[in-house]
Amino acid sequence: MRILKRFLLGNKNFTREERKMERVKKLTQALSAGDQAECVTLAKELLAEGADLDAVIKEMTNEMREVGKRFETFEIFLPEMMMAAEAMMAVMDVFGPHLVEGSGVASRGTVLIGAPRGDMHEIGKNIVKLMLKANGFQIIDLGPNVDPLEFIKRAEEAKADVIAISTLMTTTMPGATQVIQLLNDKGIRDKYKVIVGGAPTNPDWAKQIGADGWAEDASKATELVEKLLGVN
Amino acid sequence: MSYRMWEVMERANTGPFMEEHEFLYKRFIPKMREVIKKYNIKYDPQHPVPSDDSLADAVWQAAVEFFREVGVYNQDTHRVILFSDEEIKEALYSAPSSYVVGEGKDSRVFGHRKVEDTRPPFCIYSPDITYDEVDHLAACIAYLKEPLLDGLCAPLLEEFMGRKIQAWAPFELGGSLEHAMSLREACRLVGRPGVFLVAVGTAESDAAQISVSDPTWGVRTTDSRLVGSITEMMTNNSMMNKAAHYNMYGCFTGSLTGAIFGGYAGGAEGTAVLETAYHLKGLMVHQCNYQQNFPFHLKHGSNTGREMLWIVSVYSQAIARNTHLVQDSNGFGNAGPGTEMILYEAAAHSLTSTVSGANLWEHAPAHNKYHNRGTPLECRLAAEVGHAVANMGMKREQANEIANRLLAKYEHLIPEAPLGKTFQELYDVRKAIPRPEWLDMYYRVKEELAGMGLEFPF
Repeated sequence: MRILKRFLLGNKNFTREERKMERVKKLTQALSAGDQAECVTLAKELLAEGADLDAVIKEMTNEMREVGKRFETFEIFLPEMMMAAEAMMAVMDVFGPHLVEGSGVASRGTVLIGAPRGDMHEIGKNIVKLMLKANGFQIIDLGPNVDPLEFIKRAEEAKADVIAISTLMTTTMPGATQVIQLLNDKGIRDKYKVIVGGAPTNPDWAKQIGADGWAEDASKATELVEKLLGVN
Repeated sequence: MSYRMWEVMERANTGPFMEEHEFLYKRFIPKMREVIKKYNIKYDPQHPVPSDDSLADAVWQAAVEFFREVGVYNQDTHRVILFSDEEIKEALYSAPSSYVVGEGKDSRVFGHRKVEDTRPPFCIYSPDITYDEVDHLAACIAYLKEPLLDGLCAPLLEEFMGRKIQAWAPFELGGSLEHAMSLREACRLVGRPGVFLVAVGTAESDAAQISVSDPTWGVRTTDSRLVGSITEMMTNNSMMNKAAHYNMYGCFTGSLTGAIFGGYAGGAEGTAVLETAYHLKGLMVHQCNYQQNFPFHLKHGSNTGREMLWIVSVYSQAIARNTHLVQDSNGFGNAGPGTEMILYEAAAHSLTSTVSGANLWEHAPAHNKYHNRGTPLECRLAAEVGHAVANMGMKREQANEIANRLLAKYEHLIPEAPLGKTFQELYDVRKAIPRPEWLDMYYRVKEELAGMGLEFPF
């Protein structure tokens, strides 16, 4: 293998920098393949070699965006994207303690997400969560069946930027309305961007209930959050 | 297997503990990948209606192994409900192959069908969408006027006395009662008082479902209710409550499941295996009498695309060939009513389902998300196609050829499908009959289908 690499690289010796680049390339490939164990091994090696973690994370984030695009076109399906996101999280666990404060990998914003009371369906919400994570947002997932006041309390605690509400049934759509009404009643509506989505919803309804935006799928939800928070 | 209902309920409290995340990542996804590979299941886009019996049998074997090894996760107790191979065989053996549903002169036999069966499918009509409260009775009447209707899952309500219905809240109880009463009144007015009803879709919660069990004005024991499924292979105590109530009340229970193409099961192969496995979940976890299948595309919310027809055909054949369970196939179109596209879609779904051994549950238009966008006419065409396919003893090869011709007419339009018009625009609501322009379009498409080889009975 080493002989082959030398042949491919014009028979020159690997420099330390080239080895790192090789490893980063392997890491993004393993990430794309959802190979968590390989990602962790490579992450530890990069850490031991004193790699620029910000740069590595940036490469991984770019790769995750590509994974997201492949999912959007159904070149891959949800399990492949989930495995890639898991692998990314595992690498972040390795790097986490070694990232310095003020590092360039700071979150692009915090999104609190959940399904309203009575709604037990999560797949749509989970896909949005994965896509946002893949695009560098910090996510707080409240899960399904969330009390409207709980959305607000947890958003306050986490100093969230966005409250995202996903609903699958017409009879649970009023739960999203209640969150917005409570934000108004508490006089804190302007503190948060509220976005809504889900199978039975549409932009007219979102406008009618006073949401800041509606997205038809996970990819559009990411674009919407970026637009609302003014991050590229 | 209601004979072991409480033992199954107990397993929801005593089965292996597991976080939901772990269930999906370590159990569901790896096992699905494993069985697809082991049984060599491969999607073939050229054959939306495959004729390969060994494919259907492989999907069945994969589904049994998947169900046995993965089990069903209860979200409330965080435990996995598991069954042995012997219990699976026992449940399959002891399940009835048909039921007499409905009442009196309106009663019908709802039974198992075989692949390429010449017995017409049992036809349940349903728009699966909400209607204006003021037009609910008229909409129910319009559906009940349909000649080939064997059962009805009526239009849903979004409002009760002008107020939004919210699940697990008082207006849901009110709306559910209004739905049940309006539907029962419609049955009487049309002269089909005993027709088989699957009701009431407005009730999402267990409490609302339980509140409409009444032999006089509500849901009777000759009717049916549904227990849904949480994505994927999950249940919860509310579902278990519904299952227990339906069994003790004595009505027929349908297992409502929609495996998601592109979701946790992956592509067409996994979606077909999962939808097949759902028959076992319905039979054994929720003690259901029949399976109502609505696999759908994650992006489009429909099941009339090429890969979706393949999925529908494969799991229907898997069940028809390897069990005597009762199944129906629920169509979800992309286009709205009042368009030729929805008629082609309904025809393709019905053709595929019927020849593959399923009964029919037709047809939800417009991605199943637009208020008032559903009419009886697209259901009528689907039922007529189903009867034609069965009566003429159509083979899968011919069905595949017609499905390909129909797909050529609409599959490129799926991402931007026209939304069509509302029930109120397409029907004379007071008379509950279709307007001439919609009826003309239906006749034109029916004639075109006849030209493709479908021999309609009338």
